[in-house]
Amino acid sequence: MSSDSKSSPPSDLPLLLIGTDFRCSPLELRERVSFAKEEAEKALVHLLARAEVAEAFLLSTCNRTELYLQPRDEDGAYQAALDMVFLARAPELERPGRLYVKRNGEAARHLMAVASGLESMVLGEPEILGQVKQASVLAEAVGAEGPVLKRLLRSATSAGRRTRQETAISAGAVSIGYAIVELARQIFSGLEECRVLMVGAGEIAHSVTRPLLERGARELVVANRSLERAAQFKEEFPSAELVPFDRRQDEAAQADLVVVSTGADEPVLTRKHIAQAMRARPSRPLLVVDLGVPRNVEPAAGKVENVFLHTIDSLDLLIQRNLKRRRDEVPRAEEIIEQELHHFRAWFRALGAEPLIARLQKQAERIRQHELADALPRFPAETHADLERLTRSLVRKILHHPSSRLRDGADDLSRLDLVRELFHLDDDEIG
Amino acid sequence: MQTFLDIATILLPLAYLLVAIDYGFLFFASQPFAERTATPALRGTVLLHFAYLVGEVVQWKQLPAATVPQALSVVAFAVAVVYVFVEWHGRARTTGFWLVSLVFFFQLLSTILGAMLTHSSPPDRAIFHDPFFSLHVSLALLGYAAFVVSAAYAFLFLQLYRDLKAGRFSTFYGKLPPLEVLEKMMIGAIWVGFVTLTGAVATGAFWAERLPNTPSLHDPKILFTLAIWALYGAALLMRKLRRWQGRQTALASLTGFGVILFSLMAVNLFLTGFHGFL
Repeated sequence: MSSDSKSSPPSDLPLLLIGTDFRCSPLELRERVSFAKEEAEKALVHLLARAEVAEAFLLSTCNRTELYLQPRDEDGAYQAALDMVFLARAPELERPGRLYVKRNGEAARHLMAVASGLESMVLGEPEILGQVKQASVLAEAVGAEGPVLKRLLRSATSAGRRTRQETAISAGAVSIGYAIVELARQIFSGLEECRVLMVGAGEIAHSVTRPLLERGARELVVANRSLERAAQFKEEFPSAELVPFDRRQDEAAQADLVVVSTGADEPVLTRKHIAQAMRARPSRPLLVVDLGVPRNVEPAAGKVENVFLHTIDSLDLLIQRNLKRRRDEVPRAEEIIEQELHHFRAWFRALGAEPLIARLQKQAERIRQHELADALPRFPAETHADLERLTRSLVRKILHHPSSRLRDGADDLSRLDLVRELFHLDDDEIG
Repeated sequence: MQTFLDIATILLPLAYLLVAIDYGFLFFASQPFAERTATPALRGTVLLHFAYLVGEVVQWKQLPAATVPQALSVVAFAVAVVYVFVEWHGRARTTGFWLVSLVFFFQLLSTILGAMLTHSSPPDRAIFHDPFFSLHVSLALLGYAAFVVSAAYAFLFLQLYRDLKAGRFSTFYGKLPPLEVLEKMMIGAIWVGFVTLTGAVATGAFWAERLPNTPSLHDPKILFTLAIWALYGAALLMRKLRRWQGRQTALASLTGFGVILFSLMAVNLFLTGFHGFL
């Protein structure tokens, strides 16, 4: 089990994280500690029944299970969480390196990094932010989120949103399907106006079609040798139009994007086919993606004017380029996380000063009311409302700066003590 | 007024250079600073340029196209205005670096030639006060500006075309508008240029007929203008008849741009007889 060696100041964030992810545990272990919605609810309720746990939040996805706690007693909370959430389901997690434990600021930083996609298997993937939000809603619904975790989750989602808006951490396609979408978008004005021809209806065709339809492709035509497989394809994608395999060349003339993925040993589209198709169509570019190995489209077809032929290799090149771009953005994303962590710490520090500030305001208000009660009889009645407003404004303005400074420096206990002493805040009597 | 014009002549290429650098940071490095400043900086510079051209009109009481430097500056201004419109329309902010660089190039040429050729006023001929002549010159300059814009998009189209064809994914990939959009902008600019240049040729021919001494049709300026007109016209015709694709049209556009540069510079300065003012 790995743990942070850094010691934190006593006033640091009271947070504890226990988790495992794809780096520490194989799928067979991760799926055992994966929590469905109802299971997560139960686990949180049981945890909160323990005196050692003040607040809890459980994030469970296919790649990670993480439990965030605001403990009353750290050792007790740690042991309870470990047993109930992890070891009860997968005792093998006790082996060194299977779980990670982070505390205080490191735990907060980790959640922000998770929400930003920095800890994801595919760097910058967008789904995790939604999963963090869903888990947060669940924790709130069962009353497991208190002020600290609620504010932490707000900071984490803010970090996740900002990293995606202000950096290119999620930019560019990193899967074959989306790489084809990206290529099409660099060629055509819009995917909505593209007619897509799928030659082959196997698993690859299925996985590629999904992102194409998701991103707006409307007209989909499928040419496949086996009618049975074509029918299966149609079942999954009802908008698809089935055509006989022999018509693939005619259909290529009508299409804007042709994706070829058959198990054929020889090219099913040759240069001649493509050249004829280009002659039969208006002067619009044609994107041909050959996902077959061995190749399903004759390489020379790529030499035809206005034809863009891409293979699995060029798509991989594009994906590697995008991944590198994402990796280059990590330092900028980390900067954003540090900013959010700074705000979260400031909020937490201010939390410690709030009771003192409240007492200070209460005392000032009592003095104001006392003095006003003495003074008002000496002034005409029509001025009373103005005097009320004036004194309120005075008190508010006098206390504004000291209150802000107290919130900013709430971790400085000597400062809090000084204020307490200066204003006799431990004493209920007003001097 | 003359002091303002003298200062603006120096200031304009410098300002366009800075704006081009800003757009460069936007294109190559996606700098947040450039994201914020590029557009306002360009608009400010275009306003300064507009004030400069108005100042020229006020100062010389004629269209600022009587000399090659003035004509180059008008072309630069027209290209800049076209780009500001394109950007405002929201289609292609990332093409800013390339178009503003061209604007800078034309404005720099204008300033350098202005310093080299004239230290006095532009020629004050009666024709510069003729509204028909003003229309002829305005149409010609607008046409050239449109062809310059089309050349910029043609260049970008070819870069992206080659990248996509070769599966190279260089700097241009992912930063430019789609190939089809670049092609549409290039063709649109060629059409605008061709129509306005046709107008310029027609008004020029009509106006020349009215002159006491009709200029020779063999004048290099006329020949080059007709060659430019024919080249772009042929490119548009080939698209219709022979289904020229974007690449061939882009090559024609870049060739036309070369001829325009030669016509604006060498022909105007050294070869032409009667057309020496522009």
